Amino acid sequence: MAERGPTLLFSVFFCLLCYVFHTVASTKDEYSEELLIIPFRSGQVYSHFEFTTLWDVDFAQGGGGRYKLQHFRLFPRALGQVMTEYRVQEMHLTLTQGMWQQDKWGYPVTSAAPGAELWAWFQQEVDDVDQAWFGLTNALSGLFCASLNFIDSTSTATPHLSFRPQGLAEGLFSTKPSHLQYATLPRENVCTENLTPWKKLLPCSTRTGLAALFHAGQLYNTQYSSLGVHLRPVCRNDSCRDASLELRQVLSTVADPPATLNGKQDWSMKRYFSRSLSGPCPMAVTSRVYVDVTTNQTSSFTLKPEPTELKLTNYQGYNRKLAVYDLWSFPFHKEHGLNVDMKWKKEVSYKELFPPRLYVHRFVTGYGQEHGGIMSLLYNRHPYLEQQIIYMELLPWFTRMYLHTLKVETTEGNLVQPLLTRYTPGRDRQNPYLLEIVLTLPPDSTTRISFSFERAFLKWTEYPPDANHGFYISSAVLTTILRQADNFTVPPHMGSGLQSGLFHSSTEFPLRLHTETLLISLPTPDFSMPYNVICLTCTVIAIAFGSLHNLTTRRFQYTDLKKANSGGMRAWLAQLFGRGKHATSEDKLREPGKESEDPGEESETSEENDYIGEQRELVTPRVRAESDKKDR
Amino acid sequence: MAAHSGRNWAGLMFLCLLFVSVAASSNVEDQVGGFFKSGHTNNWAVLVCTSRFWFNYRHIANTLSVYRSVKRLGIPDSQIILMLADDMACNPRNPRPATVFNNANQHINVYGDNVEVDYRGYEVTVENFIRVLTGRLPPSTPRSKRLLTDDRSNVLVYMTGHGGEGFLKFQDAEEISNVELADAFQQMWQKNRYHEILFMIDTCQAVSMYHKFYSPNVIGIGSAQVGEDSLSHHVDPSIGVYIIDRYTYYLLEFLETVTPDSKKTLADLFRVCPKRVCVSTPGVRTDLFTRDPNTVLITDFFGSVRNVEITTETITLKRNDTAQLCSGSSCPGSRRGKRRKKLAYANQFPVEAAYEEEVTKPQWHFPMYFVAALSVFFITVVSAFRI
Repeated sequence: MAERGPTLLFSVFFCLLCYVFHTVASTKDEYSEELLIIPFRSGQVYSHFEFTTLWDVDFAQGGGGRYKLQHFRLFPRALGQVMTEYRVQEMHLTLTQGMWQQDKWGYPVTSAAPGAELWAWFQQEVDDVDQAWFGLTNALSGLFCASLNFIDSTSTATPHLSFRPQGLAEGLFSTKPSHLQYATLPRENVCTENLTPWKKLLPCSTRTGLAALFHAGQLYNTQYSSLGVHLRPVCRNDSCRDASLELRQVLSTVADPPATLNGKQDWSMKRYFSRSLSGPCPMAVTSRVYVDVTTNQTSSFTLKPEPTELKLTNYQGYNRKLAVYDLWSFPFHKEHGLNVDMKWKKEVSYKELFPPRLYVHRFVTGYGQEHGGIMSLLYNRHPYLEQQIIYMELLPWFTRMYLHTLKVETTEGNLVQPLLTRYTPGRDRQNPYLLEIVLTLPPDSTTRISFSFERAFLKWTEYPPDANHGFYISSAVLTTILRQADNFTVPPHMGSGLQSGLFHSSTEFPLRLHTETLLISLPTPDFSMPYNVICLTCTVIAIAFGSLHNLTTRRFQYTDLKKANSGGMRAWLAQLFGRGKHATSEDKLREPGKESEDPGEESETSEENDYIGEQRELVTPRVRAESDKKDR
Repeated sequence: MAAHSGRNWAGLMFLCLLFVSVAASSNVEDQVGGFFKSGHTNNWAVLVCTSRFWFNYRHIANTLSVYRSVKRLGIPDSQIILMLADDMACNPRNPRPATVFNNANQHINVYGDNVEVDYRGYEVTVENFIRVLTGRLPPSTPRSKRLLTDDRSNVLVYMTGHGGEGFLKFQDAEEISNVELADAFQQMWQKNRYHEILFMIDTCQAVSMYHKFYSPNVIGIGSAQVGEDSLSHHVDPSIGVYIIDRYTYYLLEFLETVTPDSKKTLADLFRVCPKRVCVSTPGVRTDLFTRDPNTVLITDFFGSVRNVEITTETITLKRNDTAQLCSGSSCPGSRRGKRRKKLAYANQFPVEAAYEEEVTKPQWHFPMYFVAALSVFFITVVSAFRI
């Protein structure tokens, strides 16, 4: 009886505890999925998927002590654990195949460098940023099946001006970039093996919702394909007293219908994703498809099925008419799936396109394998406004930049004085070269930034297995703020999701542009040379040494040629080919008794000579033996 | 009399029950025994393609064929280490992106939609391969790149590429010799990292790679004898190169007929490519293997032992199921009223601030030892002059 009291109390307490933890299990999180489809005037169709998970867990500026992410519900646990382990405040990873063509397509929703690009801000409490960065890159390489573990100090830099935190950041933190690490791997290729773990992070995976459209064979049969994972702290509400964690998974593709359809621009989900939508993801708060029908007035196309609503948006020069399909209110039972289908009457006309206000191109100059140069052309097409930009170059250590050759001028020849030049020289096999320039582009001009570099000799173990392919230089980054939004596909906004960018107006639009990656060839040795050298050396040694050895160890003996040359032509021919002749004559003359007295080397050399076929004639062994006896 | 008959009935009942229970238990024992017949409890696979460049397309196709079979028969991605030295699927030369077919008529897309490559490109090196096998990886290696086998794991090791007598070429840059491979397996044995290994290799002179094995419980299958070349199957004109090797082509054809509950044995596997189709003579080494290959199931290596519990109940996902979620201050661990100051986003273009920072830069820093040395120097000089 006495025992039962405490146990009863304990069990009641335990039950209460369970009840408490059961109801207050996990923090509120919400998930939304959006798809934006924009047909460009050049015929290509841009599809941009955005999957946003907002988790009301406040981990920014924890005020000391590790923050804990636990009780995962919609937020992927694999990624959350990596973030917790390495104390990451903000992370941006993109894996891109292809080049975004700024002059034809405008500005993408998220600009990405070709290959892999990773930049992360670590929390203020982190002491050893290098160690955390090393751990983060290795963990992400396993998580996304990419070779991000190749990111080391030779490809990592800390840009001071170009990459600011895109999430919440306290004042000091944003101006002290010691906790920013930036790296790119231009050689990285993207394929289904990167898409597979990426789509497993989504709450509904590819079973239902917008992610059901992911068919790898179609997604990678495109001109441009980019996967992105962006993690940052955001304001929870308008008052912004609390922070939330935002995970944005982005997939952008630009398909090219005219290339496969002989000029026709027709696009449909069934054709370009191999399937149609069958319903929203049940875990999603919003599930929408936006189709840009602004160009319907100029180059008319028919859009099927009927959108659930039509929205107009107009601010700061950004003028769009969007057909919205809300998957929660779309009648799936009637329509048997949502297959967005756009059909044009006329073929695409490749007339002159209108490039955006600001765009950039970059290329390699020079010849030979000792020196080279890089030139960037920055175009400012605005008729009267000048533009202040930050231009960042990250060169690997084996292209040693000469800063004194840096020249910034317009194509007319006017020198442009940079407002600020920030240069971090590289160190061989340790650090890359980082150059950041702040300059003002004159209106309606093309500014040329150029400099030369020297190519380094690598050690023979540092060459990759396909050394003759060349070495990549990662793309340069241009950062600026625009006041007009007309060239953007979706104007950038600090809020979450595409709807904040499409429908909420703003006055300043931060822009980031990436240039082309460059491929240069370094002085590469001929790797077949060791094999060739060994063959040649062995041949030379064999011939030279063999001949020398023969010369030094053979004994020459004079013969009486009168006896030998009898027989004329026949005998001469026989001499030429007659190994047999020699042998038989030797055999005849050799007597068994005498044989034992013959010094071994005589018969050996005679045989040797027979074997090589030399026309040396020996004195018969019998005579030799007698001379030997005489000597003794 | 009644009591006596009652006891008889009871005894009879007892005997019946005894028989039934014995029968039932022997059935259960059979089932239980069936689980442990082969001696392994989990399956792993290490699939390596060692060749790079477009003309070695067939080696990637070989490895992916085995990967596909192994996944289909039940081994999960977390227990497969796939090493591909080059990317063929998304190669710009591939006319059908994100696909690798085993056949010019595109019968089977061996790349598939659900592939995870653990080591790719330049990561496929001899060092990484041996480290994966022996488990001696740096601490930062993620879990998907580790071979976490134990002494009850059956491991399938499949290698393909260009080989010669006693070596296998990795990416045109280095080789692994049969001695190194044998030593790696011996390290695995000493560290209890495998129960049984099935080693398959599809290269020229393949059998030379398993000649030096000396660890127990290893079976070696090679596609060609020493002095023979392992030949390719056919060319796909749109790809432009040979797309699969003969041995693996017929191996895939055979494995497509194997299901997870198949009773086919290793003896069938040894006969998968006779000389008349393969042109080369496949070889087998079973002297290190304790069991009789005729009794070993193919699924012991290609399939997976898994405990699966099937449930028939369904869960309906409801939209906005936030009933059990807390929000804001009601969450455990939230700090109430501690931080009330407004948070802000960073200025994306703070050039003026940076400019000021740069301009006020020039500062001289004198380390302590320099100051100390300088003062000592001056003191000595002054005292010397004084004197």
